[in-house]
Amino acid sequence: MSLPAPLPDLRDAPLLERPWVTIVWDDPVNLMSYVAYVFRSYFGVSAEQAERLMLQVHNNGRAVVATGNREEMERHVEAMHDYGLWATLARAEE
Amino acid sequence: MMRFTREASGNVSGQFFPVEIDLLRLAVSQLIDLLDAAASHALGASADPAVRRLLPDAYREDAEAAAEFRRFTADGLIDRKEANARAVLASLGEEEYPGDADERDAAEHDADEREDEPGASVGADGPEDLPPVTVLLDDAAVQSWLRTLTDLRLTLAERLEITPDGVQHLSGEEAPFLANVYEWLGMVQESLVHAIDV
Repeated sequence: MSLPAPLPDLRDAPLLERPWVTIVWDDPVNLMSYVAYVFRSYFGVSAEQAERLMLQVHNNGRAVVATGNREEMERHVEAMHDYGLWATLARAEE
Repeated sequence: MMRFTREASGNVSGQFFPVEIDLLRLAVSQLIDLLDAAASHALGASADPAVRRLLPDAYREDAEAAAEFRRFTADGLIDRKEANARAVLASLGEEEYPGDADERDAAEHDADEREDEPGASVGADGPEDLPPVTVLLDDAAVQSWLRTLTDLRLTLAERLEITPDGVQHLSGEEAPFLANVYEWLGMVQESLVHAIDV
């Protein structure tokens, strides 16, 4: 006999509302190597992905580095502020 | 010069001249003072642009949400930044030159004389006749150093009035010294990132 699968926690699932995003903004201070390091070590992305995101910040002035629910994005923003990166959260664009 | 290297043990070691250690101590102590002052009014956004950059608004277009975020996170952020700064100070060792007091006085006297020489500057090209000191960092200390070097550079960039295009607008007597320190901290951080970036 198998147990029923637990119900997914729908509170955190952005089904009915647009998800939130964490945005990192370009600044004239932070080193490119450091920003790429932060993306790799905090978000666990590959070196190539970290480099791509860092260049997006550098060239476009900003990059979306994470998508999810609001609490999760607030945690990421706080972590980015720990690292000294300029980060904000906002609703994902349509 | 490649300042930091990764040791076989996994620790990172760095070479600094004693004047550089003194400069780091001074800068980090001032950062701690700044954070202490910020902690006393963390509930609102600070009037100091450096503090505003260290604790930026988390919401750009929602002042209420930004204030709410600040209320829940500012104390923790300031505490952690200050703990990192204190960890950096601790890794710099005792605030003493090696040797006895006479040697120390002599060293300070030499340093005073050098400051009067034309072209003397603090930083990578600074006085080099005292032997370099090795600073040994474990993983936790590396993380504290990365964050504190960033906080120092963000603070200095505000003092230097560096605009988003990277241009410095501060002029006046102290500007060249501050700009040297800013550049030098950048080189130290770059070297540290490269040492752990393998």
